[in-house]
Amino acid sequence: MPIVRNIVDVLAMKSDKPMRRLIAYYVVVAIVVAILAFFFPGAISRVALIAGKGLGDVPEGPTVLTDALSNSPTSSVSFGPGSLLDIGLTTVMILLGSLVLMLPVTWVYMSARPSGGQHNQNVVQTLIFLPLVVAGIVFIVQNSLALAFSLAGVVGAVRFRTSMRDSRDLVYIFLSIVVGFAAGVQSLAVGAVISMVFNFVLLVTWHYDYGRNMLTPSAAAQWSRPLQALASPTGTHQIPDRDLVLSLTPERADALAERFTRVQKKIGKKKNKPRFDSVVTITSDTIPDAQRQVEEVLDRMTKRWTLDEVVQHTGKPSEIYYLTRLRKSIPRDVLLTAIHENADGVIASVDLETGTFAEEEKNGSKA
Amino acid sequence: MIRKRVLALLLALPIVCGCRETPRAKAAELNRLVQTRRSEFAKRLAAANADPQKDEPIAQWLMPPQLREISGLALTSRGTLLTHDDNAGRISEIDPKSGVLLRGFSLNGNQKEDFEAIAIAGNDIYLMASDGKLFRFREGADGQQVNFMVFNPGLKKECEFEGLAYEADSTRLVMACKRLLDKQAPKELLLYRLPLPLNRSTITAMHVPVQDVVGTNPWKGFRPSDITIDPFTHNYVLISSHEHGLVMVTPDGDVVRSVPLPGDHPQPEGVAITRDSILLISDESNVKPATITAYKWHPQ
Repeated sequence: MPIVRNIVDVLAMKSDKPMRRLIAYYVVVAIVVAILAFFFPGAISRVALIAGKGLGDVPEGPTVLTDALSNSPTSSVSFGPGSLLDIGLTTVMILLGSLVLMLPVTWVYMSARPSGGQHNQNVVQTLIFLPLVVAGIVFIVQNSLALAFSLAGVVGAVRFRTSMRDSRDLVYIFLSIVVGFAAGVQSLAVGAVISMVFNFVLLVTWHYDYGRNMLTPSAAAQWSRPLQALASPTGTHQIPDRDLVLSLTPERADALAERFTRVQKKIGKKKNKPRFDSVVTITSDTIPDAQRQVEEVLDRMTKRWTLDEVVQHTGKPSEIYYLTRLRKSIPRDVLLTAIHENADGVIASVDLETGTFAEEEKNGSKA
Repeated sequence: MIRKRVLALLLALPIVCGCRETPRAKAAELNRLVQTRRSEFAKRLAAANADPQKDEPIAQWLMPPQLREISGLALTSRGTLLTHDDNAGRISEIDPKSGVLLRGFSLNGNQKEDFEAIAIAGNDIYLMASDGKLFRFREGADGQQVNFMVFNPGLKKECEFEGLAYEADSTRLVMACKRLLDKQAPKELLLYRLPLPLNRSTITAMHVPVQDVVGTNPWKGFRPSDITIDPFTHNYVLISSHEHGLVMVTPDGDVVRSVPLPGDHPQPEGVAITRDSILLISDESNVKPATITAYKWHPQ
């Protein structure tokens, strides 16, 4: 297992992203299967490709039949369907095959959980064991109607009362049954395609949080609190989330630190009354025009203001940040309305974040 | 450490490559096995020739799962056997002297019928369903699905059919009726003859009184499960699964032999006789697995 992990690490470029690791795993499996198919083409095609066996549309090649009258070595066959060795090898291969196909499904099950969701260890282990049992049953029953009825009778006698906490777990269980069936009818190629498509579709929908209700927290909500802490006024002595800080690259940390220093210089010393108490954020496609129009309003309606930063984007509106100190006589909404009116058609949006507003919001949430 | 591993891998590679299951190696192994089995078969046949009184089998081949419900038998001009299973139109070719299943092909669309018998007439193969319907097709390659034509002789209400043979002398098919569906009809062995090309208007029937067929055997009747043509006498040879009997009838309807089947046959469903005097009987899987058994054939 460490060897496989190392190979997966190399192929996934030491990334922890589930998608990369999944692709790396399937690449490793494909290489191993290709090597086995090169050396033992018959054995691989027997377990992977003979879904149509018995329907007459798959070449089988010559098969040596058992001589019931002879005890000579030629009486028993070393290859061909029906021999003891062949049945044993086929059984081992279909069980190993279903295991290889289900392992990544368990990883996806454990990784791709909704925010705050915990995976169920019982389900993880069931996903490993169930296809083995199903494959074994299907391999035994196969074309026998009598055995199928017997199996239905036996299964009917057992009462299944386990309820799933998450309905999504049930889908994983169904998938493990499907893979088990595919392995049992010696059609692992079908099982492989189904499990691969399942894994990738599930990862993509999880990654993009597909179908998320806007009222429920997203998978990315885990970052909202540390980000809020990082963005909150430093006077409250809040320490930014350790994991978030550690996740920053040195370049990003430098950029962030530089911005903090710049803002701090403009705001003033900690003990003094802050020179600025709010940030005006403008988005616009035409920066010079927008600056001219907005600064006219800021001159007129604020005590003081200064241009903090202009962030230019390609393909979407650029952002202009102003640090301002508002007049007490002019409320927030009046300032925003004035900016909108003066710079109508030049700016895309305007927002004003005030320290007092944030303070009120904080107090409101506490209440 | 890594160097040692790479070295070990490089040394192991030729050994692993030697173990590769190449088609050529597989074919060579198969060829060796076929030769060994054929010589063994020839020895047993010689032993059976030396003691004509013995009715012991020369060979008995166990069928694979897909031939669990083996039914009719037909000999090709190459000396191999064509056989099929009861439910699906899947034909398998078997070498009766080496016990090698050579290939399998099926009717297009995986036909599901109650197939009971098979016969070869020149390049055409006829597969018969229990209602008398005949499926005509040509040989296919391994794994191929072949096109077919269906001829309905319109005898569905007359009989339940189980045997089919090709009478090369008269270029006609012979269909053996297992059970008369008209309960008022007298008990008899009924054979239908269908001259080729098939045409409903040319079908004739041959009736053989059942007491002639039963002879001195303790049978209450005779329900044939297959029919073949003796290549030496050109008589019809019929076997019965229910009575475990073998009957030889001339094309004129005279019964020349009526005896129990040799050996132990739980459910004999097919019969064929080779030009080198080997009687082949197929048995459907019952308690025991399905088999094809070979005996020395004594025409007289």
